[in-house]
Amino acid sequence: MKDLTYIDLKECILSDNDGIADQIRELSVKKRFFLWNIMSSPGAGKTTFIIEIISRLKDQFRFGVIEGDVESTVDSLKMQNLGIPTVQLRTGGGCHLDAAMVMKALESLPLDELDIVIVENIGNLVCPAEFDLGADLPSMILSVPEGDDKAIKYPLMFSVCKALIVSKTDSLGIFDFDFEALRINTGKLNDSLQIFPLSAKSGEGMEEFCSWLKQEIESKKYQ
Amino acid sequence: MHELPIIKSIYKSVITKAEGAGAKKVKRVVIEVGILRDFIPELVQKYWDFISPGSIAEGSVIELRELDASAACGRCGKEYAITKENIGNPQCPVCGYRRGRLISGSELRLVGIEIEKQEKK
Repeated sequence: MKDLTYIDLKECILSDNDGIADQIRELSVKKRFFLWNIMSSPGAGKTTFIIEIISRLKDQFRFGVIEGDVESTVDSLKMQNLGIPTVQLRTGGGCHLDAAMVMKALESLPLDELDIVIVENIGNLVCPAEFDLGADLPSMILSVPEGDDKAIKYPLMFSVCKALIVSKTDSLGIFDFDFEALRINTGKLNDSLQIFPLSAKSGEGMEEFCSWLKQEIESKKYQ
Repeated sequence: MHELPIIKSIYKSVITKAEGAGAKKVKRVVIEVGILRDFIPELVQKYWDFISPGSIAEGSVIELRELDASAACGRCGKEYAITKENIGNPQCPVCGYRRGRLISGSELRLVGIEIEKQEKK
């Protein structure tokens, strides 16, 4: 007679990831840096936006960048050309970054000399939302050409973010994009989401965003 | 394909727990997944069948239980369920307000496993 036994486990599957995310939060307090996770679909303009932010704020803050890409080092070379300490994470087909990868990347950055570490996540609106990276500012970029209805299609992504950057507003004349519809859609499950329309190319809206970002950084309590 | 890395971590945990309990075979694995994870049950079983051969979990069945999400109303604070039906247009059942804050919906839990121990004489 075979003996069948049922074992009750009630175990959180991503507890490994969440534990490392907590360690990252502690590290960022101890080493006094602000961790900013930027997510979006491919082509929303993450790299252009990051370069614009760095060029505007480099006299006030010392930046480091963690570049996540499925393949290539194209983006990290752009950052290195700006003289920014950069770590490239190549996932080789993996569709997201997890906390363990980010922890490893942080270990090879000169954290004592940095004020802000930007994580450029893999271009994807599904998987990156599922992995807590311990960031102070989880955020996403939605570009105008992608449309105002994405919050209905990717509810988890829009509900884990604190800030939503609507990029490429210089293309508003070409695409139909309704900001009121966007506010209604994002407010359904994340009514405290901060929305920033801007264009890294024309500079429109960049100043407003930068001053909000500075407040966020200054409000972080270090030990 | 976001299911795959998660299935791998379920697999690791199942094998450790089953071996620790003296299992010769794993028959059934029960997991709970919040609807916001967008897990496709057929894919979960397919990935499981892809990674489990050669182990004590080969041939086991994944029982996936989907959990509704929940939100708190942005006006009166009432907590209510977010289902696959109302997720595109949630509304507070008390005050009718349509803005709120997501509370849960991305759970991922290994609930339990059914194992077969040594054959009894």
